[in-house]
Amino acid sequence: MKKSFLFIGLVLAAGALFAQKKVTTSATVSFDATTSIDALPKADNKTVVASLDTKKGTVAFEAIIKNFAFTNPMIQDHFNGAKWMDSEKFTTATFTGVITNLKAINFKKDGTYKADVEGDLTIHGETQKVKTIAMIVVNGGTITTTSDFNVKLEDYKVSGPAIGAGKVAKEPKITVSAEFK
Amino acid sequence: MFKHRKFVAYITTYMQKKKKNWLRPVLIIGFILLLAGAGAVWYIFTEKFADIADENATYTVNASDLIKEFIANDTLANKKYAEQTMVVTGIVSETEAADTTINIKFTDTTTGSYAIFAFQQQHLAEAKTVKVGDNISIKGSCSGGAFSKILEAEFITFKRCAIKN
Repeated sequence: MKKSFLFIGLVLAAGALFAQKKVTTSATVSFDATTSIDALPKADNKTVVASLDTKKGTVAFEAIIKNFAFTNPMIQDHFNGAKWMDSEKFTTATFTGVITNLKAINFKKDGTYKADVEGDLTIHGETQKVKTIAMIVVNGGTITTTSDFNVKLEDYKVSGPAIGAGKVAKEPKITVSAEFK
Repeated sequence: MFKHRKFVAYITTYMQKKKKNWLRPVLIIGFILLLAGAGAVWYIFTEKFADIADENATYTVNASDLIKEFIANDTLANKKYAEQTMVVTGIVSETEAADTTINIKFTDTTTGSYAIFAFQQQHLAEAKTVKVGDNISIKGSCSGGAFSKILEAEFITFKRCAIKN
């Protein structure tokens, strides 16, 4: 009986150690829509849920829009307002995608790898295809991923007078980083 | 002719004096308004969020009750709590590094649903001293919650947080 418990325990421990789907609830998404005339529209969200399946190569993240923290209260209000992200209605931004060159990445060997990622990005209730490159660093079992890309606000039906006036970039830079243990 | 010229000179001097009399206060008022407008714009664009420690909390709740409320109906809970300053008390289930900062979590062990707190810059040092199992209160601005398809659980997020002593 004791041996059975020990065996089950070992199987569970090994499963946890070599689990292929890795998850973090503290990934970061940064949003930078600054322009030459306005340095305020940028924010970080540090409580993003992200996952990486090292066997299937699937990646995903979910961010609550209201948790983008700006330094300036007025810009944060505008960002969440009906004319911008309308975060009352569209509470989250999500991404689901896949690493298309999975064979080029060895998650069991320390090193830096370049991953081609393709997937669907949903912002403001609009879904668009996104292609980007992610840097993956494997170091002692910890996998750190970083990627940045630009999104066209027009594609996600985000508009407003500030965008037209050049105070907010029409194609803000999005940076996603996550550490999986 | 001489009388006429004298009259015109008199009128011109009178008008100039009059002009000076009303122009000066208008210019002063205009300048003050311009200065006030510039000051208001400068204030709005350089304003930063206040220290959360100095804000009054609208709600004081227990973490497990809050999580249960979001699980029951997150639309209603979002309407009630989003963008409100709150104090949440619970037992720390996890501390997670987020870039150079740290997040603290209270988790409902039955469902895996959780509340997560990201800290204001000036309160990071105190947050880094917190350990799993500590019974603490955190004050922060609630950003609302959502059901995570990745985790199959509810997650409630907070920004600009501080440990409440």
